[in-house]
Amino acid sequence: MSPLEKTDLLQGTLDLLVLKVVALGPVHGYGISQRIQQISASVLQVQQGSLYPALHRLEKRGWLAADWGESEKGRQAKFYRLSAKGRKQLASEEQTWNRLSKAVALILQTAE
Amino acid sequence: MSWMKRLFRNRDESVEREISFHIAEQVEAYIARGMSPQEARRQALLDFGGREQVKQSLREVHLSAVLEALKFNLRSAVRFIRRSPSFSLAVILTLALGIGANSAVFSAIDAVVWRPLPFPSGDQLIQISQHDVQGRGANRFVAPVRLEEWNRVASTFQSISGYYFDDLSELSGPLPEKITEALVAPRFLQVLEVSPALGRNFTTEEEHWGGPNAVILSYGYWQSRFHSDPAAVGQKVHIGNHYYPVIGVMPSWFHFPNRDVDMWTPSAPDAPFAQRRDATWFTVIGRMKPRVTLRQATADLATVQSGLGRQFPKPDAELTVQTEPLKDTIVGTVRSSLWLLYGSVSLLMLIACSNIVALLLARTAQREHEISIRLSLGASRRAVIAQLLTEVMTLAVLGSLVGLLVASAAAHEFHLMAKTLPRAEEIVLNWRVVVYSLLCAVITALICGLLPALRGTTTRKGCGLATSLAQASRTQVSTRNPVQWMLVTVQVTLAVTLLVGAGLLVRSLEAIGRVSPGYDPSHVLTLQVSGSWGETSDMKGVVQRIDRTLDGLRTLPGVEAAATSAILPGVPAKYQQEFKIDGKLDPDRKILADSRWVSTGYFETMRIPVLVGEACRRASTTVDVVVNRSFANLYLTGPAAVGHNIEQAAYNDFQSAGTVRGIVGDAREEGLDEAPMPTIYSCFSAPDPFPNYLVRTRAEPMQMAEAVRRRIHELEPGRSVYAIMPLQQHLDEVLSDNRLRTRLLSLFALTAVSLACIGLYGTLSYLGRLRQREVGVRLALGALRSQIVGRFLLQGLRAAGVGCVAGLALAVGCSRFLASMLYGVSAIDPATYASVVLFILLVAAIASLAPAVRAACVEPVKVLREE
Repeated sequence: MSPLEKTDLLQGTLDLLVLKVVALGPVHGYGISQRIQQISASVLQVQQGSLYPALHRLEKRGWLAADWGESEKGRQAKFYRLSAKGRKQLASEEQTWNRLSKAVALILQTAE
Repeated sequence: MSWMKRLFRNRDESVEREISFHIAEQVEAYIARGMSPQEARRQALLDFGGREQVKQSLREVHLSAVLEALKFNLRSAVRFIRRSPSFSLAVILTLALGIGANSAVFSAIDAVVWRPLPFPSGDQLIQISQHDVQGRGANRFVAPVRLEEWNRVASTFQSISGYYFDDLSELSGPLPEKITEALVAPRFLQVLEVSPALGRNFTTEEEHWGGPNAVILSYGYWQSRFHSDPAAVGQKVHIGNHYYPVIGVMPSWFHFPNRDVDMWTPSAPDAPFAQRRDATWFTVIGRMKPRVTLRQATADLATVQSGLGRQFPKPDAELTVQTEPLKDTIVGTVRSSLWLLYGSVSLLMLIACSNIVALLLARTAQREHEISIRLSLGASRRAVIAQLLTEVMTLAVLGSLVGLLVASAAAHEFHLMAKTLPRAEEIVLNWRVVVYSLLCAVITALICGLLPALRGTTTRKGCGLATSLAQASRTQVSTRNPVQWMLVTVQVTLAVTLLVGAGLLVRSLEAIGRVSPGYDPSHVLTLQVSGSWGETSDMKGVVQRIDRTLDGLRTLPGVEAAATSAILPGVPAKYQQEFKIDGKLDPDRKILADSRWVSTGYFETMRIPVLVGEACRRASTTVDVVVNRSFANLYLTGPAAVGHNIEQAAYNDFQSAGTVRGIVGDAREEGLDEAPMPTIYSCFSAPDPFPNYLVRTRAEPMQMAEAVRRRIHELEPGRSVYAIMPLQQHLDEVLSDNRLRTRLLSLFALTAVSLACIGLYGTLSYLGRLRQREVGVRLALGALRSQIVGRFLLQGLRAAGVGCVAGLALAVGCSRFLASMLYGVSAIDPATYASVVLFILLVAAIASLAPAVRAACVEPVKVLREE
């Protein structure tokens, strides 16, 4: 499968993906972009130009918390983790997404 | 501003580090895949995309665009101020004075005129007075029985109470000490809804006849007499022949009915001597029930009173009830003085603003270059205007902050004027004043900044970047500059208006000073001796006491004459009543006269000439009456004026009736600015228990003060002597309000004239600089220097002339407002107007001369070479 274009990502989807990845444990921006790419088997490639503003926006909303720490290779990096508020937000967004994708799948099947 | 900078810098650094980390990791990953370090780095940067764009979008996440712009504008404002410190300082100081003075007057108006009285729901409090149906009497004081009936029957009131004063002596110390006591009807503190700060309110028993004695002290008296000792409650004060237990102390802010009151004590309405319906005792106050309007309460009282009129035809049927909000009674006439002050301060402020506009216009013209570069680099016009406005706004806010210092200093001054300014102690620098002065700053910034900003950013045809750059070295500004001249004209207009007002007030004061009062106020010492209304149950005793004191004073060496009088001559107090002559009421015209009570020796002491007959005699069983010339001319037209019998038309507590013994000259008894009116003097030395003593001395009056005090102490050891001062001082105090008003307005007017001159001078200097080249060319072509000077001078005078015409028109428009404050001069007095115009033109000529001469002193060769 070839990678999707950035614009193909649904509005708000990036936030959901970021929250989901961060839910696995504290991680820095580079790590997030790598994980999304790995897990989606390179289908989704996140542009840094959207990733970092998204991270800062989520931080500002209080869904993510951030502090500086040392990376695996001993460099100073900004690590993001999920806040309690973010956990709730993730749950509700996951639910919404599931309902949406089911509905879309249903339409695609019945229309065939 | 530094904390803001640091904040922004920290955020930027953190973003930078985060991005660098990302790129470093990516580079490592590529190297691990076998790329060369350079190739890896190039690829990583390529992957990341526009680094600056990412940073910018991150910044946007954190700051909304408006904040970003504000930060930028503020930074540029700070730079602007730093670059031209003297200009900025001048603007800030001008605005500080303008806004400060304005906020100070605002704080006074807010505290005195607008804010409700300091009592809970103060707007429900009203003063109630009774008036004669036919306007015959002027006595508005209310009998105790009637007050109680109003309180019982009137349904729109929570409660009604009242007060009157006694000037008594406290006798605990070595010398009698004068105290002022407010005798209050029941429910006094309930009406005001105030409780004592210490102790308790009067009980019902204490408010009734025969109940226990009790006083509540004022905070000030408690401080001075009991040294703020909480144990004062329960102790006693010694007044007259009685001891009164102190039951409470009022809070420090409580000054009702006035700040002179030392203590409050009940006056029992059920006392046997308080039952007469024609007694005139109480000034009445009432608290309306919630949501009752003044109109409803007045109607209710009128109904109640007409009911009483049926029940007690004499005298209640002849009385009507009038009401006034208590606040209006207290604030009184100061209101118009304050608004006059506010108006003139605001005019001054406008002049200062227009001066600043002129300065800013000149500056933006100089910055044309910078502005056109910004515009051509893609800044929107709105952004540039916002930037220019922020600069002015910053100056204005700084100015208003300094102005608050001015306002707080003024609040302190106001407190010192407590004697002439009611509620002065309530004037404080609160958040309303702060908000007002910041509002002033915003408004002035808009007034001052908008015009220069709009003009500065107008993209005129052929005035784009290219032209601006091309002209950078030789600025050519239109020589007409209509806006600048309009500003100067406006300044002159406002200055003329203020100066006319000040001139009229000065002339009015002069006119009052020239008035011959009809009596001689010099060398007269005035004083009072304490006494109590309670003594009036034995009137003969009071008369004897006062006559004894007068005799004692007359035999003092250095004293020429002595007398008593109910009201001081020349101190405004009118007591106009209707009279009957020889028992007849003239149905066609009322015989109205000011009624005054004076003792024997009054006309001698005051040096009022006796024209016909004789002055007041002593020891007659009937009361003698003396009338003034106006009264005789108007009402006693028969062959013999002396011998008529005069009595009051209305039934009243104070009966002034008697035979006319003589006619005296007209005197301005009701105030220097009041023409003499028909007056009846009743010869009676004891109109009240503490009349004013008037002592004519040979030497300076105050030199006799000690001797007079000692003599009275010998005669009356249990009484205190107070308010010893020359009569002249009373007369000066009457005019103090007037004088202060005149002085302030003159100060403002002169400031306004100076500002207008500075504006004129500045504008002409600026134009002179701009037109250097033109003048040089003219001179080179053979123009005379005198012609050049004349041209500039004429320009300045033309603006001043137009300003004068407009200013006079404005002054005529405002004259109606001033008219009530003037005496002996018309509000459109031609002499004042003419001299103001002459003065302004003269000053304008002087202000224009220097820049005109300087403009003409250009060396043509030098200027043309600079081209």
